[in-house]
Amino acid sequence: MIKIENLIHVYDTKQEPILKNIDAEIREGDHVAIIGPNGCGKTTFIRHLNGLLRPIAGDVWVNGMNTKDPLTVHEIRKKVGMVFQNADSQIVGMSVEEDVAFGPGNLGLPPPEIRKRVEESLVLVDMERHAKRAPHTLSSGEKQLVTIAGVLAMKPEYIAFDEPTTSLDPSASKRVLEVIRKLNDQGITVIHVTHDMDEIVHTDRVIVMNEGKILLNEKPSEVFDRLEWLKELGLDIPKVTQLMWQLRRMGNDVRPNILTIDEACLELSSLFKRLENQTTI
Amino acid sequence: MYNFGQYIPVESIIHRLDPRVKIASLIVLSIMILNSKAITVAMLSVFLIVIIPTSRLPLRCVLKALKPMVILFVLLFFLHLVFTDGTPIPPFPLWRITITYEGLLRGILITWQFFLLILSASVLTMTTSPTELVIGIERLLRPFKILRIPSHDVAIMISIALRFVPVFLEEIVRIKEAQIARGADFKTGTVVRRIRAITALLIPLVISSLRRADELAIAMEGRAYKRGPRTYLRELRISPADYAAVAIMILVTGFYILQDYPFPGIYALLFS
Repeated sequence: MIKIENLIHVYDTKQEPILKNIDAEIREGDHVAIIGPNGCGKTTFIRHLNGLLRPIAGDVWVNGMNTKDPLTVHEIRKKVGMVFQNADSQIVGMSVEEDVAFGPGNLGLPPPEIRKRVEESLVLVDMERHAKRAPHTLSSGEKQLVTIAGVLAMKPEYIAFDEPTTSLDPSASKRVLEVIRKLNDQGITVIHVTHDMDEIVHTDRVIVMNEGKILLNEKPSEVFDRLEWLKELGLDIPKVTQLMWQLRRMGNDVRPNILTIDEACLELSSLFKRLENQTTI
Repeated sequence: MYNFGQYIPVESIIHRLDPRVKIASLIVLSIMILNSKAITVAMLSVFLIVIIPTSRLPLRCVLKALKPMVILFVLLFFLHLVFTDGTPIPPFPLWRITITYEGLLRGILITWQFFLLILSASVLTMTTSPTELVIGIERLLRPFKILRIPSHDVAIMISIALRFVPVFLEEIVRIKEAQIARGADFKTGTVVRRIRAITALLIPLVISSLRRADELAIAMEGRAYKRGPRTYLRELRISPADYAAVAIMILVTGFYILQDYPFPGIYALLFS
């Protein structure tokens, strides 16, 4: 479990803190989305999860280890992997397999074990065919999958993703999201910073942040109940949800917290049936 | 220029040699080549000419790698041709230019030495993948730990530098296109103007590299990187072929050292 207690972070002492008294818990196996407008502190927040940043005040505990403790920070980074937005500046190795081996190499594992982990991780992200290729010959989606494999090779319990699909085209983005979901199914705790609301539909919990504070920490369906409020924060709402909301406003009896197209289809077909019955009477 | 000496993956004994053996051989060969004696250079030329077919590198590729160096060779040759004192070759001195026999010989020899030097370095980089090269350098630097040379950090630095070469080339093209789209002109005007136009390319490049370096540092730290010892995917193993290569190198070096003693007369004839 990752426990965040009263976390405060300041970049510039003359300015307002970027994180103000954050309290949260991330439990094993969770798939947590973090959303919020630009500059709300999402990135700063997740950089605290593996000790890339140290709290100015408050504490972050990863499996009972404090990120402030310089002795355990290496251990924490083994437990909490991190994937960033720009894949190109995360790849260190001169070939795909070489890059995936970077993390395990830092942990000082013996070469046969590194080999095993590299192969397993590349299979997990479906990139094993490209093991020998040079990074610059890959597409941007493939590069992002390589960075995920690089984190997986360290066998983390948690992976924090910082807008991993922002610079990807829709099909590459879909592939990355599928991998993220698959990893969560296999028991890895996922913390996913995003500003695409479609991505949060499949998560267990959504943390909404604004101006350095956590405003909401709920299930996705409950977050979407507050549609107007989310719009005021400047966040995009999934198209189907907006449609259902409009229908409701026009006086139709539909649930407003519909997030996926499949749900919308069911809801609409039952609505049509009801309308048909009404007209026949 | 980017393709200069790039790795060519073909199957050969030279390709399969341990990178440590190849790097050490290159160092020894370079010292021998630069130690200027015509007969040594001739002997080493034969040696290198035997190595190229053994490495199964297409001759065309090897020559292409040397092509950017032609200007250097020509320049080197003419400088020695013109600026060496000695006996003038008959039609000279013409006006103020004097070409001497000594200059001609010296020019040919030194140019040929440089040619061999670059040729042998190209054979190394063309038969060894960058990854192997970096591991080889790292291993060879390990004993220098006493001199506080951090072999693992040096290896990481070289590998990152090589990894980001194509990234930077892409970036330069992107910035150049963006600036041309905004009306920048890199091709016409006086030299001063063109140099000034390059700043429009350089400043964004420097800024983006700094940002990239920052992101890379954070990503590396996130993957538990710390200075000092680490392990690698690939292990180096010395094979019988490596022993053979070392034996050949010792033999060549032995000849090189010994040749001074039995035939001092030949030198007196060729060079004094």
